[in-house]
Amino acid sequence: MNDRIRMQDISRREMLRRMGIGVGALSTTALLAACGVSGQADKPTPSGSDGGGLAGQDPAGQLDFANWPLYIDRAQGRRPTLEDFTKETGIEVSYKEVIDDNESFFGTIREPLANGQSSGWDIIVMTDWMIAKMNRLGYLEELDHDLLGNFAANAGEIYKNPTYDANNAHSIPWQSGITGIGYNPKLTGREITSMNDLFDPAFKGKVGMFTEMRDSMSFALLKNGIHPQDATPEDVDAAAAALLKQRDDGIVRDYYGNSYADALLREDLWITMAWSGDVFQLQLDKPDLKFVVPDEGAILWVDNMAIPKGAEHPVDAHMFMDYVYQPEVAAQITAWVNYICPVPAARDILASSDDKFTQTVAESPLVFTTPDMESKLYHYKDLDEDEEQTWNDLFNQVIQG
Amino acid sequence: MKKGRILPIYTGLVIAYLFIPIFVMALFGFNDPVGRFNFQWHGFTLEWYRRLFDVEELVIGIKNSLLVATVSTFFATIFGTLMALAISRYKFRGRSALNLFIFIPMATPEVVLGVSLLGLFVTLQLSRGFLTLVITHILFCISYVVVTVRARTTNLDSNLEDAAQDLGADPWTTFWTVTFPLILPGIVAGAFLAFALSIDDYVISSFNAGSTITLPLWIVGASRIGVPPQVNVMGTLLFMVGVLYVVGAVIAGRRKEKLIAPPVLSKG
Amino acid sequence: MAEATTGRRGRGLVAYLLALPGALWLGIFFLIPMVTMFSLSLQEGSFERGYVFTGRVQNYFDALSLYDTQLYRSLIYGLIVTVVTLALSYPMAYWIALRGGRYKNLFLLLILLPFFTPFVIRTLSWKFILADEGIFLGTLKDWGILPDSYQLLATPTAVVCGMIYNFLPFMALPLYVALERLDPRLLDASNDLYSNRTQTFLKVTLPLSLPGVFAGSLLTFIPAVGDFINADLLGGVNTTMIGNVIQREFQTNLDFPTGSALSFLLMFGILVGVFIYARAIGTEELSG
Repeated sequence: MNDRIRMQDISRREMLRRMGIGVGALSTTALLAACGVSGQADKPTPSGSDGGGLAGQDPAGQLDFANWPLYIDRAQGRRPTLEDFTKETGIEVSYKEVIDDNESFFGTIREPLANGQSSGWDIIVMTDWMIAKMNRLGYLEELDHDLLGNFAANAGEIYKNPTYDANNAHSIPWQSGITGIGYNPKLTGREITSMNDLFDPAFKGKVGMFTEMRDSMSFALLKNGIHPQDATPEDVDAAAAALLKQRDDGIVRDYYGNSYADALLREDLWITMAWSGDVFQLQLDKPDLKFVVPDEGAILWVDNMAIPKGAEHPVDAHMFMDYVYQPEVAAQITAWVNYICPVPAARDILASSDDKFTQTVAESPLVFTTPDMESKLYHYKDLDEDEEQTWNDLFNQVIQG
Repeated sequence: MKKGRILPIYTGLVIAYLFIPIFVMALFGFNDPVGRFNFQWHGFTLEWYRRLFDVEELVIGIKNSLLVATVSTFFATIFGTLMALAISRYKFRGRSALNLFIFIPMATPEVVLGVSLLGLFVTLQLSRGFLTLVITHILFCISYVVVTVRARTTNLDSNLEDAAQDLGADPWTTFWTVTFPLILPGIVAGAFLAFALSIDDYVISSFNAGSTITLPLWIVGASRIGVPPQVNVMGTLLFMVGVLYVVGAVIAGRRKEKLIAPPVLSKG
Repeated sequence: MAEATTGRRGRGLVAYLLALPGALWLGIFFLIPMVTMFSLSLQEGSFERGYVFTGRVQNYFDALSLYDTQLYRSLIYGLIVTVVTLALSYPMAYWIALRGGRYKNLFLLLILLPFFTPFVIRTLSWKFILADEGIFLGTLKDWGILPDSYQLLATPTAVVCGMIYNFLPFMALPLYVALERLDPRLLDASNDLYSNRTQTFLKVTLPLSLPGVFAGSLLTFIPAVGDFINADLLGGVNTTMIGNVIQREFQTNLDFPTGSALSFLLMFGILVGVFIYARAIGTEELSG
C-alpha cells in the first residue's frame, strides 16, 4: 500500500554508515568509551533521575513509545525504522499511535505524572507549546545530551535552542510541520489564497476547522490581520467572536482532529485547516488536492520527542532519539511521513534516490521549506496558565456547540 | 388475505434495514483501495482475507478484547449468579434494597459510569490499563448477569429440589445435581450477554483503558486516519460466526420438534 | 413475576454470603465512585493548582448555564429516538410474537444477529453509507433528486438516525417478550366481544403490552440520552450531546467539578423523564 522506500537503498547506506562514516555509535560500550568515567551513575529510580547520570547505564531492552498516527514509516504492516532499531540495539519497541491531539493525550498521563508515578511511556511526541507546558509543570525528564551526539551533529540550526525549550533541555524535534489550508479546487471552484476563504459563506457547511485550540485561534487571529505573538486580549476576543460567527453562520461543518483528512478525501469537506504532511500524502489518492499557505500567514509548529518524568527506560529512550538523527534514518522516516525533516542532510539522501516519489519528497517545499514560505510562517503565541485558561474558555464555547 | 401481508413485509423490511451496514461492511472487505482510505470501489480482491493478520494493532486489539472479555465474564457470571440465587430464593433484610442497587448501574449512562470509575482510579492512584479495564467490565456486566439468571431462578420449581432432599441428598449435592443443571441455561445466557457487552464496549473503556487498546477503541482511533480493510474482513468473519450460530439453533430447534409427536404440533 | 421463596431455607446468612461478592464489587466500584464524583462536583480550583472541596453548589448552576443547550438537546434526542424506535418496533414485535409461529425464535435471532459485529463498526459503516457523495446520497444527487449541497452527516438527523438504528433491538426485544406472553385466548375473547381488530388492539393488546413498552423505553431512553459515540462519529457542529461535553470536560479540559456536576444533572434529567413517563403510563400496569 505505501511501500515507497526501496529497502535496498537503505541497507546500502546502512553499510556505509557501519563502516564508520556516520556519526555516533550506539552500543553502550561505545558510549562508555566515548563518555569516559561515569561508572558511578545511579540506577534510574521510578521517580526519575536527573539527566546527567544516564551515561554508562545499560539499556533495559524495552521502549514504550507513544506517537501520533502515521508519523513513522510503514511498509506492509511493519515499521522499518523501528525494526532496524531493534535489530541494531536489541531494544524491543512497543509503539502505539495513541495521540490524536495534545490535550486529550495529556489528559491520559496527567494523573500519574502529578502523583510522581510513571506514565507508562518512555517517549512521547508533543507539539512545542505542550512541551513548554509540561516543562512548566516539571513533567519531563531532563535529557542527557551526552547520549545525543547525532542530534548535536545533524540537526538543523533553527531546531536547536528553541524558545519553547531552552537548549533542548527536555526535548528534541521529531518532525516539524505547517498548519495551512487544504482544499479541493474542483469543489471550491477556484484557487484559495486567503484565510478569509475559510470563512466564506460560499463554502457553507463544507469547511473544516481544528479542535486544536491554538491552531484555530491563531488562524482566526491571522484572519483579522494579527500576528499570533502580538495578540492582545482584545485581539483574542475578536478572534473568538470570528470563530463563533463562522460556526453560527453554518460555515463550519465540524471541528476535527486527525479525521479531517478522511473528510477531505471523501469530499465531505471542500476546504479545511490542514497539516502539510497529511495533504502531501492525500495527493496520492486525490492528486487534485492542494495545500496552501494563505497570504495572511500560517503556523509553523514543531513536534518533539520528550521523556515523561519517571519513565522506566530512559536509556533506551535516549538511544532511540539519537538513532533517528542519523541522516539516513531521518530520510527514511521523512520519505514516508512527508513532514518537515529536522535533519537538513536528509534532503540530499532523498534527492539521490532512484524512486520518483522520494525525489518529489526531496523537492517539495512542504518537506524542506523555502525562505519565501518561511516569511509567512508564524509560531504559536506562548501562553501562561491564565492566558491559556482564557483562550480555552473562549474556544470551548465555540466548539461545544 | 392481502391485508395480512403488510405486517410480515414490514417486519422483513425492518430486519433487512438492520443488515444494511453489515452488508456494506462485508462488501468493502473485498475492495482494493488505492490509498489508505477504503471508500471507493476499485476492484474485487481476496487479498485482505489472506493478509488478515498483517495489521498488528488490530490483532493486538482483538487479543486484548478477548482477554478482557473472558476474564470479566468469568467473574461477573460467578458474582452475578450468586447474587441472583440469593435474591430470588431467600428472604432477607435488605433484599429489595439490593434489588434496586443492582438495577441502578444498568440505568446509569455509560459516560457517567466511565468517568466515575476514572475518578476512583485516579484517587487510588491506580494506573489505567488491563486491571482497571477488567474491573470496569466486571462492574457493568454483573447487573445484566443477575437479571438474566434471575429470570431462570424465579421460575424454578422448588418441588424438584424438595424431591431430591426427600430422597436423602444434602443441600450441597442437591444444588449441584438438581438446581445447577436447571439454571445452567440462564447462567450460560448471562455469560454470553456479559461477553458480548464486554467485547462491544467503547464508552466505559475509553476512559479506563490506559494504554491497553481493545478492539472498539482501536477501530475508532483508526477511523480518524483510515480504517484498513482488514477490519471489514474481521467484522464479516464475526458476523459469519453469528450466522452459523443462528443456523445451528434453527437446525437444533427443528430436531427437537421432530422428537415431539406430530399431533401435538398442529394447532389447526 | 412470581418471587419464589422457599421458607424453609429462610436463614439469612446463606443469602448474605451468596450476595456478598457481587454486592461488595458493586459497592466498591459503583457506590464509592459515585460518592467521590459527588464530592468532586462540589469542589473548585484548577487543574494545575489542584482542587479543593468547598461545598460549592454554584458549580451545578454554572455547569447548567454553560451547557443547558446540550443537556436539553440530549433529552430531546433521547425522546425522539425512544418514540421512533417504539413506532418502528411495535408492528414488528407484534407480528413476530403473535403470528410468527414456528419461526419466532428465528426472527428473534435475526434481530440479534447484527450484534455479532461490534457496534462501532456498524456505526462507521453508516458514516460511510451516508457520506455526502457516497453510494446513497451521491446516487440521488446524480439523479437530480437531491441538491448538490445536501448533506446528512454532521447533522442532527444523522445522529438521531444512528441512535435509532443502534437502539432498535433494545426496544424490540422487551416488546416481543411482553407480547409473546399474551394469552391468545384473551384476544379471541375480545374479538368476540368487540366488532373489529382495532378495538381489540387498543383495548386489550396495547394495555397488556405496556410493561414491555415501559421496559423497552427505559432501555432505549437512558442510554440514548447519555450517548456520545453517535454524535462523535456521525455528528457535526450543532449536535454536541451532554455525553460529549462530559467526556471533554474529564479528558481534555480536565475540569472535573464541572464534569461531575454535569453527570449528576444528566442523571437527574433522566430520572425526571422516567418518573413522568411512569406516571403517565400508570404504575399498576408496570408490575408483572
